[in-house]
Amino acid sequence: MSTSDPLAGTPAARRPEPRRSLLVCAVIGAAVMAAVDEIVFHQLLHWHHFYDRSTSGVALVSDGLLHTAELLALVAGFFLYADLRRRRALAPGHAWSGAFLGAGAFQVFDGIVDHKVLRVHQVRYGVDVTPYDWAWNLAGLALLVIGGVLLSRARRAGGRRPS
Amino acid sequence: MTAGPVAAPLTLACVLAAVVYAAGAARLRRRGDAWPWRRDCVFAAGCAAVVWGLTGPVPGEPFTAHAGRHLLTAMAGPALLAVARPLTLVLRLLPPGRPRRGLLRVAHSPVAGWLLFPPVAAAVDLGGLWLLYRTELWAAAHRHPLLGGLLELHMLLAGLLFAMAVCRLDPVRGRCGLPLRAVTLLAAGAAHAVLAKSLYVAGPPGTAFAAADLRAGAQLMYYGGDAVEVFLALVLAVQWYAATGHGRRPGTPFPRVRTDPAVYRRTTISAMSSRPPSATPRRVSRVSARGSGSSPA
Repeated sequence: MSTSDPLAGTPAARRPEPRRSLLVCAVIGAAVMAAVDEIVFHQLLHWHHFYDRSTSGVALVSDGLLHTAELLALVAGFFLYADLRRRRALAPGHAWSGAFLGAGAFQVFDGIVDHKVLRVHQVRYGVDVTPYDWAWNLAGLALLVIGGVLLSRARRAGGRRPS
Repeated sequence: MTAGPVAAPLTLACVLAAVVYAAGAARLRRRGDAWPWRRDCVFAAGCAAVVWGLTGPVPGEPFTAHAGRHLLTAMAGPALLAVARPLTLVLRLLPPGRPRRGLLRVAHSPVAGWLLFPPVAAAVDLGGLWLLYRTELWAAAHRHPLLGGLLELHMLLAGLLFAMAVCRLDPVRGRCGLPLRAVTLLAAGAAHAVLAKSLYVAGPPGTAFAAADLRAGAQLMYYGGDAVEVFLALVLAVQWYAATGHGRRPGTPFPRVRTDPAVYRRTTISAMSSRPPSATPRRVSRVSARGSGSSPA
């Protein structure tokens, strides 16, 4: 036999990596949430403003960094995910929980740090913003809770049949 | 600001470069070297983008049109040109002798090493941009066409330098790890985004563009910059994906089909049969081709 069996001799490569799956999918979740925010609220609804005149210099820099980081994270996340699939190291339960945790974390971060602390922009202009802020942050919390529940389920399932 | 007096020579140079590249790649293929067609296409697209930005019609009010031109000549064009590995092609084509040695000496010189150190390249590229938009340079370039043309040339070359420094596809002095290149791309992208947002409310000093024009131009700059950043990020990601793939299990390819047991059984049986598996030598030869391509010295 001229070549080795492609599946033989690499047990390490086939073991699921729950931590890595969780982290990679959290990166993808956050980046996708950021892209959805950009597309739906900036471009389609025109609720957010491209530039709010009250934006300070620090906020502008943080916004630029975050925006670029989102783009790079989207690309990097999908390639890391492809690498996990290629090595068959993806742990699906942890991956799903990571996606929800990442998306929720971004939503809450955007709602609290960008909208309230740095005041880069608001959810909507010309109306009372309070209900929008509540809806925004509660939606983020809901995503985080879903992610947490999925994570505990994945952990329990992992404990039952150790890989 | 337009390219003015340098537009015609630069356009000519671009067309010439595209022709030389295509002819050179054809010669390599005739000789038996592997040179993927997609690189020819990418290089031609890069030349076309630069020429379009220099001389072609770009829609929009003055500032928006300028942003569009800048995007084509200084960002999209150079990124495409760098990805086509022009230096590698030239080094493969030149016979051993003085010109080749001279080119290698330049590519491996300490100055080139410094300029191609990603943070330095980013500072040259983005620094020029900030100076142009945030000092009186723009107004001066408007008064003196030659200065405007030289600035345009600088933006093109600086864009090329930045793309080459970040992608590192050509054999140049010094190795540079992926983390530094990725962080440089992040910082440069952020600086570009911040500048675009600041132009949304305040144009370059000494100019009077209409507010609507300024806003449209700034948004074009912002989102156009995103597109080029994603392109460069994809180049880096593909490099990483290929490198980890080869590094993890040297000598053997990743079995492509493994999820379907029936397919798996078939591939294993074919691997065990006397017929030599076709995937392995092809993959290995591609690796060695790449290795020789990155160190032609």
